[in-house]
Amino acid sequence: MMIFYEENPGQVTEADVVVCIPTANEVESIAVSTTQVDKGLREYFPALRCAIINCDNYSSDGTREAFFSAPGTIPRLYISTEAGVGGKGRNIRNFFEKAVQLNPKALIIVEADIKNISPVWIRNLGEPILKGAGFVCPLYVRHKYEATLTSSIIYPLIRCLYGRRVRQCNVGDYGFSPKLLDHYLKSPFRSEMIENFGVDIWMANIALTSRLAIVQSVMGALKVHRLKDNYLHLPAIFHDVVGTIFDLMQVYDDFWKQVKWSKPTALFGTDLQEVETPLPVDINIKRLHDMFVEGFDRYYGLWEQIYGPIVAPKLQEIRSIELQHFSFPAQTWMTILFDSAVAYRRMSPEERKNLLDGLLPLYLGKVLSYVKKTERMSLQQAEDYIENECVMFEENKPYITKVWTKGEGN
Amino acid sequence: MPKILVVDDEEHIRLLYSEELKEAGYEVITAENGYKLLEKIEEDKPDLVVLDIKMVDYNGLDILQDIRNHFYDLPVILSTAYDTFKEDMKSIAADFYVVKSFDLTELKKKIAMALETRLPG
Repeated sequence: MMIFYEENPGQVTEADVVVCIPTANEVESIAVSTTQVDKGLREYFPALRCAIINCDNYSSDGTREAFFSAPGTIPRLYISTEAGVGGKGRNIRNFFEKAVQLNPKALIIVEADIKNISPVWIRNLGEPILKGAGFVCPLYVRHKYEATLTSSIIYPLIRCLYGRRVRQCNVGDYGFSPKLLDHYLKSPFRSEMIENFGVDIWMANIALTSRLAIVQSVMGALKVHRLKDNYLHLPAIFHDVVGTIFDLMQVYDDFWKQVKWSKPTALFGTDLQEVETPLPVDINIKRLHDMFVEGFDRYYGLWEQIYGPIVAPKLQEIRSIELQHFSFPAQTWMTILFDSAVAYRRMSPEERKNLLDGLLPLYLGKVLSYVKKTERMSLQQAEDYIENECVMFEENKPYITKVWTKGEGN
Repeated sequence: MPKILVVDDEEHIRLLYSEELKEAGYEVITAENGYKLLEKIEEDKPDLVVLDIKMVDYNGLDILQDIRNHFYDLPVILSTAYDTFKEDMKSIAADFYVVKSFDLTELKKKIAMALETRLPG
């Protein structure tokens, strides 16, 4: 049990719909999120007993007070880790442990720092669960250059491995059923990465292996964070997310080895009348190129060891291409990801960290290539481009299965 | 023998698809629109649906939603004259799409892939 501190002023012991807002010093945004969640619960689930839980990392900035004083009438609970214990994953785990005591019919998690959250988001995440789905993942409106970690790694790899097309599966806001909560509580695997940024992909990954119905909910809106610096947390996010995917490949290899091709999910929220237009995203291609080149100089020796005599010369060739014509072939990228997963499996923790450090500049090179290839494309054309890459991953599934199985003999 | 349900309001398309797919080794049943389609699926239990998007009085993408909500893993291939439908989010609930053609090579390839798709459980 990690819950260090709990406040339950309304003495809530049961709730049908429970919403979690995880926080770490979110005094500037928690009131807005709480009010919108409160409105959503009253508007869309008026006949159900609801509760909002702020799962906090012992914030010192007044997050708890702002949460309780935000306008609204839905009962609220506050739980926290102890001082100095951080990580979104720990807050989510505390949420699971508290929520199971409330015997809910539907559970929802929304991030605290969303500037534009609206009540209908709560309907979109909760209603499919009440209708029988196991997991709801939102589909926000995104610019083609937003969430490149998802479009370059998470989506193609997870789709190819687990066979379900969930486009934004690392998004951080989810709805899920008590059955899936049970899977989360009984999950055989935990790590420091899951206690931090890896928790979102861990949740989605377990949902994908749970055999429960998955729904994607069309939100019709952008997701605008209060603070957004694309590079600030990138190394930590990259490590936690990609490391968690690789870790879970070992846990669920009996599952993903059986998967062939992929299937769509059901959709919810297609009745939304208005759909927002994505905001422009600035990408500094010079910086991406510089980071790829710096990574090449630093990690080429490691890449030679891990990726072998077929891929290494290709990386030299890519390195020799000037920014203006830069291209990172999708086939090479796919082989790198598959080979990384296999190598990661047999490495020590320190070697794994090094592998992920070395994979990051390769990812930045792939992003640069994607940006250049899609710069004149519409959003739909860029989606088709990603779709084609996903199909290539699926077509090459026998390769990852073969090299993975070969590694089992070592 | 896998059973394929072809839903299209154009009779010549239903005939073409029926003949060619039967020759390819499939059992084929047809429907000319979305009327009572869910009941038909429940009754005839097809292994796959080939669904026209634009039919008189019926929107194939709305039918797709109904199918997906009631038969979560039933493969559906959208059949269309134009690929502009992709701008409608509802289309991502389809397994595949094909552009209508008298050459059914692509459709047969997608049917084979959809029927081969395997997820544990």
